Amino acid sequence: MHPILARLERLAAYLALWCAIGVLEGVVLTRQGLGWGEALVQVLPPLLAYSFVCLSAFYVCRAMPLTTSGVAGVLTASAVAASVAGGLWLILNEVWLGTLESMPDLASITRRFRGEVPFLFAVAVMLFLLVLSVHYVVLAFEAFRTAERQQLELQVLTRDAELRALRAQVNPHFLYNSLNSISALTGSDPAAARRMCLLLAEFLRTTLRVSTQERIPLAEELTLAERYLSIEQVRFGARLQVERSIDESALECQVPPLVLQPLLENAVGHGIAGMIDGGIIRLDVVRRGERLAIAVENPRDPDAMPRARGGVGLENVRKRLTIVFGGAARMDAAQSDTSFRVALDLPCHFDA
Amino acid sequence: MPEPSSIPLRVVIVDDEPLARAVLAEFLSAETNVEVVAQCANGFEAVKAVSELTPDLLLLDVQMPKLDGFEVLDLVGRDVAVVFTTAYDQYALRAFEVHAVDYLLKPISAERLGEALVRVRERLGRGERATSPGMMAAAKPQEGKAHRVLVRDGPRVHVIPVDKIDYVQAQDDYVCFRSEGKDYLKEQTLGETEAALDPAAFVRIHRSYLLNLSRLVRVDQDERENRVAVLTDGRRLPVSRAGYTRLSSLL
Repeated sequence: MHPILARLERLAAYLALWCAIGVLEGVVLTRQGLGWGEALVQVLPPLLAYSFVCLSAFYVCRAMPLTTSGVAGVLTASAVAASVAGGLWLILNEVWLGTLESMPDLASITRRFRGEVPFLFAVAVMLFLLVLSVHYVVLAFEAFRTAERQQLELQVLTRDAELRALRAQVNPHFLYNSLNSISALTGSDPAAARRMCLLLAEFLRTTLRVSTQERIPLAEELTLAERYLSIEQVRFGARLQVERSIDESALECQVPPLVLQPLLENAVGHGIAGMIDGGIIRLDVVRRGERLAIAVENPRDPDAMPRARGGVGLENVRKRLTIVFGGAARMDAAQSDTSFRVALDLPCHFDA
Repeated sequence: MPEPSSIPLRVVIVDDEPLARAVLAEFLSAETNVEVVAQCANGFEAVKAVSELTPDLLLLDVQMPKLDGFEVLDLVGRDVAVVFTTAYDQYALRAFEVHAVDYLLKPISAERLGEALVRVRERLGRGERATSPGMMAAAKPQEGKAHRVLVRDGPRVHVIPVDKIDYVQAQDDYVCFRSEGKDYLKEQTLGETEAALDPAAFVRIHRSYLLNLSRLVRVDQDERENRVAVLTDGRRLPVSRAGYTRLSSLL
């Protein structure tokens, strides 16, 4: 779309500028001995018609963009276009003067005016070149604005994707329940409330940080998991117990972030939370050569009702393992009446 | 009628998390004319407390071991006003369908709890309870059909797995679940029971009987040409004409 014709206020400003130029030309002509009225009546109409001819400069800009065309090409195209425009002005001028001359009252005034035509032709060519350069500037400015907006949109999209990834990782109800615990502790045990705030902040910060990484050492994933368990420990107290068996040699293995924490969250939410007296979650990490095996087992209530967020966290882990490893990793879940066990088997090192 | 704010409230707090109970108890201690008569860590304790203490209000968590909040309301909702407390907003609609007085989202503020108490007193002042017909239907899991039936027997709760039910019989304002040689009475209609159970497993064979299809051996005709369903334990139940049509379409 033409940048000036697209908006009415721009066209108005453009035409106003041309009127001003016309008045200036009139002033110059009065110096040559023409009267004010005579000068304006002869200069303005062809000039305003010509202003629309100059709008075609936009198409020259489009045909010869500064970013991809050579200097010589742009200059040649500008010179040719300016000459053609100047020729058009000559025609417009001739038609107008002819019209004036056909009216007997006005015929006399054009005679002196004709002497000024070469000067006015030069001005017309210069004006076309000026309009052309203005177009180039406006277009460059708009391209810059568009690029800036696209950059912003991209940032928003990226942020949005990160937030959605975070939401998928951090169960909002875990947050609400933790905040409710903090609210309770604030009254009875302010020091514990503060500890819980810090734990929660650490957990969220670490989750945010690692969720943008492609891989982290297992040791770091274990730290995150322990923070998660400490927070749940405040909520569930003695109902939540954890037994760990972790190979030292596994700690240096590289894993996609947040593969272990969802398994524990599932064990707490679907296991411990459903049992009146709670129970023991078993975490086993074993390294065999270049393979890493992670297993989480939790007790479950045999009569447990199906829960609202059943399996979404586990399903996310499975999807991500498939994306990262293809067939080189697997996740198995097995359930008995009284227990649930999920096991991951994945490479100890991998190229993302 | 007394001023609503002067109505004394005896409250039972039900939540499996000690801290969640503590914060409610703390907020309630600052309210006038409110007494916390019990704190329960699960639904069984809650039913017992309602039977033994006859409180005015139950502050009830939704997600708890064994019995969830909706099941507790199904069991005691006729005797006590219920306000749900939960971190989950997706149960709100269901909560109001079963006529819970209010629905508080964790973390809970003292102000919001205060508003809930006002509502409870307004409702008590009008002499209403949280009862609603069809509560059984609302208390079943959101997707699919109930996989167990809860029956209250004073302070005790019987949990009957659906596949252990032989048949259900309508008796005045109650239905009677027959399971493993015992009868369990529950205050609801046979229509509500039918709506809560899997229609592929339970068939309305008669105005007063809902039969577990897997218990059916054969259909006989007695000396007066009436059809009779014979069950695996030898028991005989009447089959109406419409019931026989439904039964035939399933067999």
